Amino acid sequence: MTVPLSMPNAGGGSAGYASKLLLPHWADIVKIIPEAEGVTTYHLRLTDPEVQARYRFQPGQFNMLYVPGYGEAAISMSSDLESNPGLVVHTIRHVGNVTKAISRMKVGDVVGLRGPFGTAWPLEQIRGKDVVIACGGIGLPPLRGALYHILRQRADYGKVTLLYGARTPKDLMYPDEYETWKQADIDVQVTVDRGDETWNGRIGVVPMWFYHFRVDPRKTAVLTCGPEIMMRFVIYEALARRIPTSQIFVSLERNMKCGQGACGHCQQGPFFICKDGPVFPFSAIESIFNVEEY
Amino acid sequence: MTAKDVRLELLKIPWFQEQKPGHVTKIAGISHLRHYKTGEVFFREGDRQDYFYIVLDGRVALDIFIPHRGKVRIYTAEQWDVFGWSSVSPSVRTRTAGAVGVMDGTVVGIDAQELIGLCDQDPGLGYRVMTRLAHVIASRLMVTRLQLLDMFAEPPAGKNVGE
Repeated sequence: MTVPLSMPNAGGGSAGYASKLLLPHWADIVKIIPEAEGVTTYHLRLTDPEVQARYRFQPGQFNMLYVPGYGEAAISMSSDLESNPGLVVHTIRHVGNVTKAISRMKVGDVVGLRGPFGTAWPLEQIRGKDVVIACGGIGLPPLRGALYHILRQRADYGKVTLLYGARTPKDLMYPDEYETWKQADIDVQVTVDRGDETWNGRIGVVPMWFYHFRVDPRKTAVLTCGPEIMMRFVIYEALARRIPTSQIFVSLERNMKCGQGACGHCQQGPFFICKDGPVFPFSAIESIFNVEEY
Repeated sequence: MTAKDVRLELLKIPWFQEQKPGHVTKIAGISHLRHYKTGEVFFREGDRQDYFYIVLDGRVALDIFIPHRGKVRIYTAEQWDVFGWSSVSPSVRTRTAGAVGVMDGTVVGIDAQELIGLCDQDPGLGYRVMTRLAHVIASRLMVTRLQLLDMFAEPPAGKNVGE
């Protein structure tokens, strides 16, 4: 388990622990990388070197990023510690007040950071298996850290396939990295919803690419993140291939606020998505997934 | 290229491997192989329907012309995908989209009218062919629905999905 940053060293009781988890640490923006229209990657370094030194997270977890005067937003990490030592990397889609405020920031500005929170991709559990990573749009960033982990320990995993979809070619995340991933024996399959006459790549949707390769359901795990409608059809295709529900892992996004399962904003059925998720085995959430009005 | 050569190519396609040998031979007799290059046009919107195609390898894009926007590519067909299937429909008379190769490859072209004739003569074959086409149409409908939903679009204001 990864211990959230604000955990006290001693004492404080449960109330003290909870309140400290609500206190952000400051982080400097050290690098900004435009990824696509309305999407940017930020490299952050925690201002307090001691805090930075003990900061640990696992791919799939998220931080609450805080902009004074605007509030907080839950953002998954889009890299891992080994690939970017001493940095916390977030790829952010600027769609709300907080993320739009971040979009106006420059290198040297500071944001508040609480975390890491939530569950991670089960990279140890799926060691030795074939892995299908099915993601769409801004669903790739939360999986990139998992991909980096697999790349570094490539021999520990079987066949690895990345199915990635975006709205248009210019919306694809991290296109400069695909070749590196392919060279590391990752089967990278990219598709877009629509293309113009200059696009000679694939046009279609992520779930349909299950038609184009065979999976061994006994030794395959699926990791999926993206729009829930996309994940729903990815799950249909995985189940049609008899992949067990316990081997399909889904990252859910809800209205996370406190990050510790206290406020209830992200509650769905018996789960607090911020604490019990965001990564769930489908077997755990089958009864609440695809239920209207949740 | 003889019907025997075409039959061998058809038998590389998983669906044909499950069919009766006599049915495969009949379909091979009304089919041809076509090697194509990137940029080669199979048909354009409005063309008369004649063949439908199964991709053996390469990639073929389907496009629709929109005034003031040009051609918009809406789908790509790859290995074992079917395109031009509406030529088997009893009511569609002309192509509703264009098809152009975007990666060199090979397709099998099947004469649509001849196939309809074979299906009329042999209801067993007809059932198998139409079941397969129903599957193709259902999967294409699924893709079209997801594209229509524009699932990667920015969420509407007021929907509290991102801060």
